[in-house]
Amino acid sequence: MSLSDAGKPGARGMMLSSLRAAAAGDRAGLARLVVAALVVLTLLALLLSTATGASNASAIDVVVSLLTGEQSSVLSQRDRIIVFDIRLPRALLGLLIGAALAVSGAVMQGLFRNPLADPGLIGISSGAALGAVLMIVLGGTLPMGLLGFFGGFALPIAAFAGGLITTLLLYRVATRHGQTSVATMLLAGIAVAALTGAITGVLIYMADDRQLRDVTFWNLGSLAGSTWAKVLTAGPIILISLTVLPFLSRGLNAITLGEATAFHMGVKVQKLKNIAVVSVAAAVGASVAVSGGIAFVGIVVPHILRMVIGPDHRYLLPASALLGGILLLAADMVARTIVAPAELPIGIITALAGAPFFLWVLLRGRTSAGL
Amino acid sequence: MIRASNLSVRLAGKLIVEKLSLQAQPGQVTAIVGPNGCGKTTTMKAVAGEIPSTGELTVNGRDVRSLDPLQLATRRAVLPQSTTIAFPFTVREIVRMGLSTGLNRSAGRSEAIAAEALAAVDLQGFAGRFYQELSGGEQQRVQLARVLTQIWEPVLDGEPCYLMLDEPVSSLDIRHQLTIMQLARDYCARGGGVIAVMHDLNLTAMFADHMIMMKKGKVVVAGAPADVLTDEAMEEVFGCRMRVSGLPAAGTPFILPQTAIL
Repeated sequence: MSLSDAGKPGARGMMLSSLRAAAAGDRAGLARLVVAALVVLTLLALLLSTATGASNASAIDVVVSLLTGEQSSVLSQRDRIIVFDIRLPRALLGLLIGAALAVSGAVMQGLFRNPLADPGLIGISSGAALGAVLMIVLGGTLPMGLLGFFGGFALPIAAFAGGLITTLLLYRVATRHGQTSVATMLLAGIAVAALTGAITGVLIYMADDRQLRDVTFWNLGSLAGSTWAKVLTAGPIILISLTVLPFLSRGLNAITLGEATAFHMGVKVQKLKNIAVVSVAAAVGASVAVSGGIAFVGIVVPHILRMVIGPDHRYLLPASALLGGILLLAADMVARTIVAPAELPIGIITALAGAPFFLWVLLRGRTSAGL
Repeated sequence: MIRASNLSVRLAGKLIVEKLSLQAQPGQVTAIVGPNGCGKTTTMKAVAGEIPSTGELTVNGRDVRSLDPLQLATRRAVLPQSTTIAFPFTVREIVRMGLSTGLNRSAGRSEAIAAEALAAVDLQGFAGRFYQELSGGEQQRVQLARVLTQIWEPVLDGEPCYLMLDEPVSSLDIRHQLTIMQLARDYCARGGGVIAVMHDLNLTAMFADHMIMMKKGKVVVAGAPADVLTDEAMEEVFGCRMRVSGLPAAGTPFILPQTAIL
């Protein structure tokens, strides 16, 4: 990862000294540099994604317009609407969801002590999918008044509720005498995923052609239809989780050595599990509710970062949030330009680009220190 | 002092430790010995506060069960038999984790402690290596360095701290066995205390001040090594008829750690 300002002697000196420290086993300086670089890249990605699309408003016009607010007359009325009411909420939602998925992945991997863990293990994804399919297929049978009350939010609410209920159910199964067994949770998660999958299957069997199409597209994920209303409902839930989770960093580091050792080192392990599971369920539930299933971000992002800056969660979590957001914005830009004026579901892009890249990383990393 | 009396532990309905009493004095190495499965490790876990137990259990006069994990962590540090880690941490990063118990130290001081701890377990120059690439014995010594940093000062605010070591030398070569046992002795000499689960009776006889011999979850005999290690105790506890301080038949080489010049 090279910094944009690495040409300056000060920055180069800083980079060299952190690389030397990294060779002596101290990767904190390197990690800080990477986080700083990711902050810059995030701002760039945000700018690019609000400036690219079917309309031809230039990037500079957009920056000027973003900085000066709605009064600016640099952009035409039409472009201003496109930038402020369509692209900006979509970009912000992309950043939030990418951050939520990547941080949640990193936290789950830390908690389960397994680099392959993801929020799907605690039932969020399968539960949310069940909730969404329930609403798509059976939503029409709800009394009109109720459906009208929720309006366009009926589907996200059903998905959020489905994810949260499944996770809490799993957590109950895995908790005995106030102690949660992550191994039981893992196994119960597989059982619950099979069960929700079966119920979803029954619903799909009942669905008509239009509903089938809706279900398929929901599963592939998309940021299309992002509105300020969605940013303002999902955003706070995600932001609260993203604020809480970094406080678990020290404990998650200790859990790397085992739960008993973490306790010996002074970590309140059960409390940490409670906070981690609830925060992840909320963040991922809110993300999946507004965007559908977006695969791969949660596993790939933390893995790549661990190879660069190491597994210390104090740096891994913020870096994952930033890189997750950047990657999702990039994928979304591809999704909405590659077949313009139509757009591909973003889940296809993340999997299509992410999977081969991940395989390449694994092939390369086998010889070095990665897992 | 760490004190347990009438300590009982039940795991999955089975009584693993039964009405056990032990005292570990500061300034002394207290060794727990006994056959496999007699409850040594379970006793250690109970005393560390890691698993539920009944009976009286105090560290420096305070009830272990009423102390916060963080308060406990500043009074005692625990070395488990083996530690597998999930992610590629460097040696330095693992050792530094021991320093995160909230005692206010400067960054420079923390760094110095980590380096001294690595030197104490004879791992100078290993800071930048990946833990997962080390041998079993080296990994065990890295964990010991981490445990040492957690209670680096043997006496904190006038109270002694305790190292609790579960088979600390089980995968070490003979020189490092001696180094680590000597390190435990030094910790005691500076005012701290050590409880160690041991298998090597020769090393135990050489380094322990107080010995507890267990069988089937109970203490059979406790006291100074010279009083505990008797032909009768060896037969009763280990089911093995042998002579303490007996010599092998002529021509069979034998090596005792006691002959090492430290």
